[in-house]
This record gives sequence, structure tokens and C-alpha cells, in this order.
Amino acid sequence: MSIGMVLLAGGVGKRMGKPAPKQFLLLGGKPLIIHVAEAISGIDSIGEIVVTCPAEHIDDTAALLRNHGLDRRIRCVAGGASRQESVQLGLAALSACDTVIIHEAVRPLVSSADFQALIADAAPNAFYGIQIPFTVLRGRGKVEGILDRDELVNVQLPQKFAYAPLVKAHAEAAAAGESYTEDASLFYARGAGEVKILKGSERNLKITHPSDLITAEALYADWRGGGG
Amino acid sequence: MSRVCVITGASQGIGRAAAIRMAAEPDISHLILVARNGEGLEETKRMIGATKAKVESIAMDLSDLDAIPELVKGIHERHGSIDLLLNIAGYAEPKSLLDTTDENIRTTYAVNVFSMLAMIREAVRYMRGRPGKILNVASTAATTSRPGWIAYASSKAAVVSLSQTLADELAGTGIKVYVVSPGRCATELRQKLAPEEDPNTIMQPSQVAEVIASLLRGGENTLDGQNIIVRQQS
Repeated sequence: MSIGMVLLAGGVGKRMGKPAPKQFLLLGGKPLIIHVAEAISGIDSIGEIVVTCPAEHIDDTAALLRNHGLDRRIRCVAGGASRQESVQLGLAALSACDTVIIHEAVRPLVSSADFQALIADAAPNAFYGIQIPFTVLRGRGKVEGILDRDELVNVQLPQKFAYAPLVKAHAEAAAAGESYTEDASLFYARGAGEVKILKGSERNLKITHPSDLITAEALYADWRGGGG
Repeated sequence: MSRVCVITGASQGIGRAAAIRMAAEPDISHLILVARNGEGLEETKRMIGATKAKVESIAMDLSDLDAIPELVKGIHERHGSIDLLLNIAGYAEPKSLLDTTDENIRTTYAVNVFSMLAMIREAVRYMRGRPGKILNVASTAATTSRPGWIAYASSKAAVVSLSQTLADELAGTGIKVYVVSPGRCATELRQKLAPEEDPNTIMQPSQVAEVIASLLRGGENTLDGQNIIVRQQS
């Protein structure tokens, strides 16, 4: 089975309110994207890795990976205007393969074991998800509906999909003008196949807001201290 | 008694706040502001506003060590004395070890350590034999682990070390050497070190300047030679 990977590093830091792209922010003294690159560096079953990033940061990102000795198998290409478009461009930049792993640089606390377990799972399409520990209601300014949180899942990355169906689903979604915030939704909505939910981890935090980085520093220190 | 006060790094951050605060001290007759950014210095002068102190701004790159003897000599010649030297100029370019270039190391140490040492050496030539004070700004990063800030943090450790050594070496000359280590402070430099942080939630430069002013008053004679942590407790 041939495996490729798309690593999304397309953020320009808008929600952080700062000029530095998030993937270059330091966690434990290392850029976020380097944490991910280290996690996948020893997984030889992943044959080719495409990093999608803003065109103006391709050189910086490539230089960073090279400087850390983590550029083996990795190519940097320009991402799109949206996350969905970046994934589609990343898929197009990959050589055809059986399976593709999707991950994002802003989830730096992912472990090598997370990737290995995802790859080893028998399901062709799968992602990590965790329960939602708080109440979620539907509403805009006033409550308009109640959601049963036992039926909901907090979608994490990494995710794994059969390559050809995902490429097809993306093409169909783009043609239909549909937009999705991540690929399990897109894959499911386009009827591309069953997607399995694996048990994720609270530690696999996404760095979105400034406070996330503070939390991630604490989690990283705890993880490292625990020999993880 | 009137005193001549020299402040480096006065174009922004703690240096600017210290300049504004020192201008309000009743015995400061001359305030000499030094920084690379001339526009920033002019803005500092504008923020100082009306003061009885004579304010001079000097735009120069302190990493040019060869220019420092002439700088200090000129200040002394024009103002007749150097009584207070505040070394506040700082530089930071946070990177992981593998991304820390030679240029980053050189610039960080040139601004934070080498120019400070040269300023002190040259100023002491004119300060000896009179009651004078030197105050150096280090950082809490000097004494605690800061992954990703290797050049900056280690340079600030050097600032603490050189300050403590010089406090002893200059004992008996009339010159006292102070070192303050601010914690998280809302400066432009801090924005580079912690871009994710909201500056409104942390210590302000004016609070550090208040501590600096209190240390530099004539009556203070017990806190020199110690790494003074300045940190806002939440």
C-alpha cells in the first residue's frame, strides 16, 4: 500500500491577530511545523509528503525543514484561498497513491504513534475524534434548538482516506460550489465512503487562539516530562 | 546637586519609559537619549514634553563598538559630567537552536552585551571619583530556561553576570552598578518574543521605569549588585 501525506501549513495567523504565520510560532523552542515533521520523520511507510503553505512562505518553510534535517520526502507547494482548496492542491501535487494522510501544522502535539495507529487501522478512511465535554446549542442570538452532544464528535486530525475517492470527492465538491471545514465532512457529504472514528486525545490540541499556545506549552512540558 | 543622565535604547519600550520618568526627576539637569531609531528618539522627546532638563538625542547604532568611545567622550564634553548611565538598549530574534544564525548571535550579543560593556567602560573613565550610578536592564530570561530564545536569554545572563562583577569591581570608586530583570513587559521586543500575547494583560514599561527611577535616587544604596526581579504579580 502506497501512502502519501498532505500537511496543511496555510495559515496566515489572522485569528492570532499577529503577523507571524502560526506554523512558525515556537512551542517548546521549536516551530510548530517542526514538531509535526519530527513526528512523521521515522514513519517510512509514508512515501511522499506535500506541505501546502502560502506562496510567499514556500521558501521559508522549505528552508526551515531543511535546516532541521527534516526535508526528506517533503515538498512545499502553494496552498489555496481556503483550507479546502489547499487540500485539493496538495492532493494534486502528490503522486497517485492508495492512501493519503491529512494533517495540519497547527496540531503540533500529535505523536508518531498517532500516525502509526491511524495507518495500521484496517479502515480505509478514518480520523481521530473526541467527545464534546460541554453543551452545544443551536442558535443565533437566541436558542433555536438543542443538540445531543452524545451524537456529536469533535473532529481532529490526522485523518486518513483512500486517495482516489478523496480526489474525486474534492472535485465534485468544488464543481458544486460546496465548502467544508475539513475532509471527513466533505468525504461523507459526497458519499465517497464510510469514515471510521478513532479515539482521539485531548492532548492533540489545535493552535487557533493565543491561549491555545499557552495550553500547548503546558501540555508539551508535561508530555516531555513524562517521557512521551 | 544636578545630574547628567544617559539612556540607551530610549526610542521605545522600557528605554522610552525610563526617559520620560527620569525627565520628571527634580535633579536631572541633562538627559542624553541614545538609540538607533532617530524617529523613535524624537517621539520620546515629544512624549517627555516640557521639562527643565536639557534633552539631547543621539541616533546611532550601538553595535558599532568603535564609535562608543567618541560617543561617551562627546557627551562628557558637551554636558560636563556623566552621573547616571542606563543601559537599556536590547535586541531579540527568537529562534530554535538550529535556526539561530551567526548573524542573530552576533547582533544579539553586540547590542545586549558588547555595547553595554563598552558603554560602561568608557563612561567609568569620566564617572570615577564622583557618586554615580549605572543601571543595566537584563531579563527574567537570564536565570530561567527559555527554549527558543537561546541567544537572547544567554545574552541577558551575561548582563546579570557583568553587572554583579562590576558592582564589586567598582566598589570604592563612588559608582554603584544595578541590574534589573523585568518579567513580561509590554514592549516591542516582547512582541517579538511572545507574539501570541496580549500586551494589555502584562506589566507596562512605565512600571519598570518607576522602579528604575527609585533605584537611581541618591538615597538608595542597598540594592546595587543584585539581580532585581521586576515582575507584576497578577
